[in-house]
Amino acid sequence: MNISECFRNYREEILYLWTEAVYATYPFETKGLLGTVIDPFGNPGGDMTREAAQAMYDAVAGDETTVETVKTALERFVKLRAVQKGTPSRALGVFYLLKPIMRERLLPLCAASGELNGYLAAESRLDSLTLLAFDIHMAARETLAESRIMEIRDRYAQVERWAQTHTRKAHLL
Amino acid sequence: MAKLPAPQDLLASRPPFQGEHWLDIKPDFVPGGFCYPAKKETMELLHMPNPHEWDPAADDWGLPENWEQTICDAFAERLEKHRSLKLFMDICVRCGACADKCHFFLGTNDPKNMPVLRAELLRSLYRRDHTMLGKLLGKTIGARGWDKNVVKELFCYAYQCTECRRCSLFCPYGIDTAEITMIVRELLHEVGLGTHWIMDPVKNCSFTGNHLGIQPHSFVEIVEMLADDCETVTGIRPKTPFNQKNAEILFITPSGDVFADPGIYTFMGYLMLFHELDLDYTFSTYASEGGNFGSFTSFNMAKKLNAKMYAEAERLNAKWILGGECGHMWRVINQYMDTYNGPAPANMILPVSPITGTTFTNASSTKMVHIAEFTADLIHHNKLNFDPGRNDHIITTFHDSCNPARGLGLLDEPRYVLNAVCNNFVEMPENTIREQTFCCGAGSGLNTEEIMELRMRAGMPRGNALRYVQQKFGVNHMACVCAIDRATLPPLANYWAPGVTVSGLHELVANALVMKGEQKRTMDLRQEDLPGVEEDESAAQEGEGE
Repeated sequence: MNISECFRNYREEILYLWTEAVYATYPFETKGLLGTVIDPFGNPGGDMTREAAQAMYDAVAGDETTVETVKTALERFVKLRAVQKGTPSRALGVFYLLKPIMRERLLPLCAASGELNGYLAAESRLDSLTLLAFDIHMAARETLAESRIMEIRDRYAQVERWAQTHTRKAHLL
Repeated sequence: MAKLPAPQDLLASRPPFQGEHWLDIKPDFVPGGFCYPAKKETMELLHMPNPHEWDPAADDWGLPENWEQTICDAFAERLEKHRSLKLFMDICVRCGACADKCHFFLGTNDPKNMPVLRAELLRSLYRRDHTMLGKLLGKTIGARGWDKNVVKELFCYAYQCTECRRCSLFCPYGIDTAEITMIVRELLHEVGLGTHWIMDPVKNCSFTGNHLGIQPHSFVEIVEMLADDCETVTGIRPKTPFNQKNAEILFITPSGDVFADPGIYTFMGYLMLFHELDLDYTFSTYASEGGNFGSFTSFNMAKKLNAKMYAEAERLNAKWILGGECGHMWRVINQYMDTYNGPAPANMILPVSPITGTTFTNASSTKMVHIAEFTADLIHHNKLNFDPGRNDHIITTFHDSCNPARGLGLLDEPRYVLNAVCNNFVEMPENTIREQTFCCGAGSGLNTEEIMELRMRAGMPRGNALRYVQQKFGVNHMACVCAIDRATLPPLANYWAPGVTVSGLHELVANALVMKGEQKRTMDLRQEDLPGVEEDESAAQEGEGE
């Protein structure tokens, strides 16, 4: 079995294990909804996790893709975790939850078939993907900061404009 | 010496089986997750109980010495006063139908944001003091006593509910969880706990009429400034009648639309529409805020701030009131105003459109008509001339604002108007619109910048649905009928679906409205160039040259 077949054969199992590992970072009472309701709008958190899981796994497996395609697929998931409670390491560390799963399921098979270098390359792709997620995370946090400023500015926009009109009138007098 | 932990250890995932009981987990207050407290002087000015300085992030919230007795007495009084509250406390069977319907729950994954468990925070206290089983069996049946952490917990979760009532829609017993939140907020106010972003507008509305506390003469000048802007766009300066006695209609709208972008463009839309109709109407500087921040505070405060509507209609001898695009204003009007301040003054009559002759029998009690109904009626009777092509550069969707949708049943009128003024209208997915609409995540006084993170996660279900239609249908615009939405949806859209702009319904109406004697429109109400106009002019010039 070559490395591509390894990744393909274990895809569903590993996706399941990773999404379960992500859900395990949330409180016990919420796991039922996240894992069982298949509705992109009734359970958006679960849907985002599943979308990210598939894109992540296929990219790590070495399927043909682009940076932009991967980033688009990860975006909702990373953005949600960027505004949920917790540190950035907690928000993004979930991608590294794939490593112990891969090492348990795929590493022995790859080693046995002499594909160790291929396996290490897959782990490196996971590192790259986490760095891409870090870019999305930082951009999301920047957007938050900008939104705070814009909101304060917009809220008083007309009052400020009115005040400036009066200041100009006062100067003319 | 310890080694650096592996990533999975950094995540500190929970144990596979439930550890601590959910009711025993203490709330944590981290920046970005709580609103700033109300100022002591604000609370004093409003004669609120136990005004004091306090900090949500501190251990000690400076509660008054007899805080427990104060809250228990206040709770008992409200149970006596509101039979509905007693019912809501007693009849929940914890079926869980509401559990996954709350946008806060979907965005935070915090079990206490399931409406059933959020209400359970209060129910557990109710059981101890007001049920026989609770008195006898205590914690065994989910009863608990008050302590200071319980007060903090109530504060934490009462301000993670936007009172949108989506959960109530799914409750087989019709429990109105929003009213439970309202009661919890009232109880917290009894011991001096309120938030700045609510209480400051309450103070301003109490003293000067509008939420920013702008003096009446300045308010008028700002409105005139907006009328000047209308003239720049159309060549017609609409009239701005204020405090005119015996006008047929008193127009009341949220003051946010006078001060804040992009709400001002909706306000300009009203001015242009009324001018085109030559409507006999007036604004009021006293009732210059339709929104009711009192409804986020207490029933009494809501009643007080609502009272000026009828008071002003009586003073100005208006026949009926036309209300602008607002959210909670309409919930207060439709569900509470009759009880608060009804019946309407004797000078008020059943609203009849002076343009079409339509009688708004649905407003026979309140004597207040929503502008979307008013405009839909005008369009139905072919009284307005539109060029919807002016809105062709947008593909719009419609966000049903929670209170008009679930509190007023205003579902079809805005869509009817939107279809008349825009050629490209796309609905968001079925379970995110109309009665099932997802909240913007910042209603009920949570539209404050210090909790931007909380708002983005609470607004995620709405943002997610918006992103879906953006990607699938190229939607680049979202219309709504609520001033808080107009303020809170732009950052939400910018986060979850960048590139989507937000406006009120009547901004789009006015953009498409062909006014009698207007100049050729080259820009929209935001004074941005209308796409296609330049090309038309160049083509015309070329044609003349030939």
